[in-house]
Amino acid sequence: MIGYYLSLAIRSLRSTPILSSLMVAAIAVGVGAAMTTLTLNYMMSRNALAEKDAVLYAVQLDSWSATQGVDNPSEMPWQVTYQDAVSLLRSDIPTHQVAMHLWGGPISVEGSEIRPFVAGARVTSRDFFALFGVDFIYGGTWSEEADSSPLQQIVLSEETNEKLFGGENSVGRSLNFNGALFTVVGVTEHWQPSPKVHDLNNGSFNNSAEVFLPFGLHRQFEIYPWGNNNGWKAEEINSYEDRLNSDVVWLQYWVQLDSPEQVEDYRDFLTAHIRGQKAQGRFPRPLKFGLTNPSEWLQLNEVVDGDDRMLSWLSLAFLLVCLVNAVALLLAKFLRKAPEAGVRRALGASRNAVFSQHLVESGCVGLAGGLVGILLTLGGLGLIRQLQMGYMDRVAAMDWTMMIAAIGLAVLSSLLAGLYPAWRISRTNPSVYLKTQ
Amino acid sequence: MLKMHNIRKSYRTDTIETHALRDFSLEVNEGEFVSVTGPSGSGKTTFLNIAGLLETPTGGQYLLDGEDVSSLNDNQRSRLRNEKIGFIFQGFNLIPDLNLFDNIDVPLRYRGFNAKERKKRIEKVLEQVGLSARARHLPAQLSGGQQQRVAIARALAGEPRFLLADEPTGNLDSLMARQVMELLEFINEWGTTIVMVTHDPDLARRAHRNIQVVDGQVSDLQRTAAPTAVEIA
Repeated sequence: MIGYYLSLAIRSLRSTPILSSLMVAAIAVGVGAAMTTLTLNYMMSRNALAEKDAVLYAVQLDSWSATQGVDNPSEMPWQVTYQDAVSLLRSDIPTHQVAMHLWGGPISVEGSEIRPFVAGARVTSRDFFALFGVDFIYGGTWSEEADSSPLQQIVLSEETNEKLFGGENSVGRSLNFNGALFTVVGVTEHWQPSPKVHDLNNGSFNNSAEVFLPFGLHRQFEIYPWGNNNGWKAEEINSYEDRLNSDVVWLQYWVQLDSPEQVEDYRDFLTAHIRGQKAQGRFPRPLKFGLTNPSEWLQLNEVVDGDDRMLSWLSLAFLLVCLVNAVALLLAKFLRKAPEAGVRRALGASRNAVFSQHLVESGCVGLAGGLVGILLTLGGLGLIRQLQMGYMDRVAAMDWTMMIAAIGLAVLSSLLAGLYPAWRISRTNPSVYLKTQ
Repeated sequence: MLKMHNIRKSYRTDTIETHALRDFSLEVNEGEFVSVTGPSGSGKTTFLNIAGLLETPTGGQYLLDGEDVSSLNDNQRSRLRNEKIGFIFQGFNLIPDLNLFDNIDVPLRYRGFNAKERKKRIEKVLEQVGLSARARHLPAQLSGGQQQRVAIARALAGEPRFLLADEPTGNLDSLMARQVMELLEFINEWGTTIVMVTHDPDLARRAHRNIQVVDGQVSDLQRTAAPTAVEIA
């Protein structure tokens, strides 16, 4: 009977085009508003590292002050100190591990017509690409030696290679970065996780790095990182070496642990490391560290903040208002057709059949509302992209999941809106209308 | 075929209780053509609605084709109505958005017949009422008499054993009324039991039996209708 009800619904909706349009518009506007904010929230909270959620862990060490609190939900610094990062890199437990931070500088190719530009750089260890699943178009990561010695090797992103070398295989070519000559050892495929799970300290939705540099360059270039540097005690820092040995936290640290045994061993390793540091007078607070997978890391860092959630609730409340309007319109439409329902009852339709027929009609309104709602959502997201907030191009976009969700929300909403009108029409006394029709 | 014993039906509002039927008893045999007459407000239509399972009586017993229908739920009553009862109304009650074919299709859909069976039945009854050529027309494109013939075709498509007609010629001129009456008589000759409510004494006389309803009761005598509303507040 569903097919029959569908054909009746389409016929019914076409017979009252203005009323039908109003009902579709009520659902579509509500769905459009709700889906615009829900899409933003969904895209902002999406886990770009979901595939490796079971094996990747952000590492936190509680090296903070015994007296000062840490103002974040984890109650530990988000980042680690350089001296701790170097110690952790010595562990052979993780399958892969990276210490990293943001940096940058002017980049150019000698003899090229391309004008120098400032490129964002990620200074990291060679495991970065394997750990985060970044593939190479040309070449590969730098040598192991470059993580501890100042070897001027560089990996370019696909976009940077396109800019500097026109997309050619640039492995072995030289370029200038921050006034020094570097040799290209690899070119990565396009890699733009959004949100930028691996580094939520420097803008969760900012662009990913344009170039990647080895961890062993710090002393040679006296690299001061771009982004957050947090300290908790007054330290006398007179030289770069003092800085490297300070308690200022400025590096992100990630490990890949493929088995529970590895996790357990790494926990023991971190515990031993902290105990060792405590023996040297560091880590004044009770022993504490964090191993957090990407999805929990996103939640912990509150990528989607309270205002965003409030906006979602408000948009859902608006959808509710639209639904109330849809209920009134559906009720008006259905009651107008009460005589027809009376005839159908006389001809053998049960109350359930009349109820189902009208609920299917409500569902059709929802389906149409959902499709129009998707268009409104795309329009809404387009307007948000016009705000030129940089990362909005990546966040204010609707994927198939959200499109299906929009249809689902619209149909579910309209079915809910149609419940009462359909129930009312199925409960009317047919004899009243049969005599008066 | 139809057996009502002491049927009562009352409608209650906040202040008034109206007795539409009071100890209404009637027996209609299989194959009979019974006309029901009576003044307005006497309870004829209420009787027809209860007989057609569109309303439930307040009290009494109603046996349809030997089955006590008093305790059936809505689904059971709807199935019985669909299978055994055909309705013809004064106002035709065709669905205006549907063409003749689809109007006649309505009860067959609820019966669960497949498309082939429905088509066969629809074409057969349209031929019986002489409207085969108008199958794709909308009701509004037909005359009143033609519309009533479509309504009769719709009532017959399910091959009911019992036809209820509520003033079937009330909206028709005398010529069309005669044609519709002849059609009903023809249907009755083929074995369908018919109960017809009418105001027209000439039509009433053409039935096998005429029953007069006065004050919600079966009566052989015509008398002035007494008030049926009793103030209870």
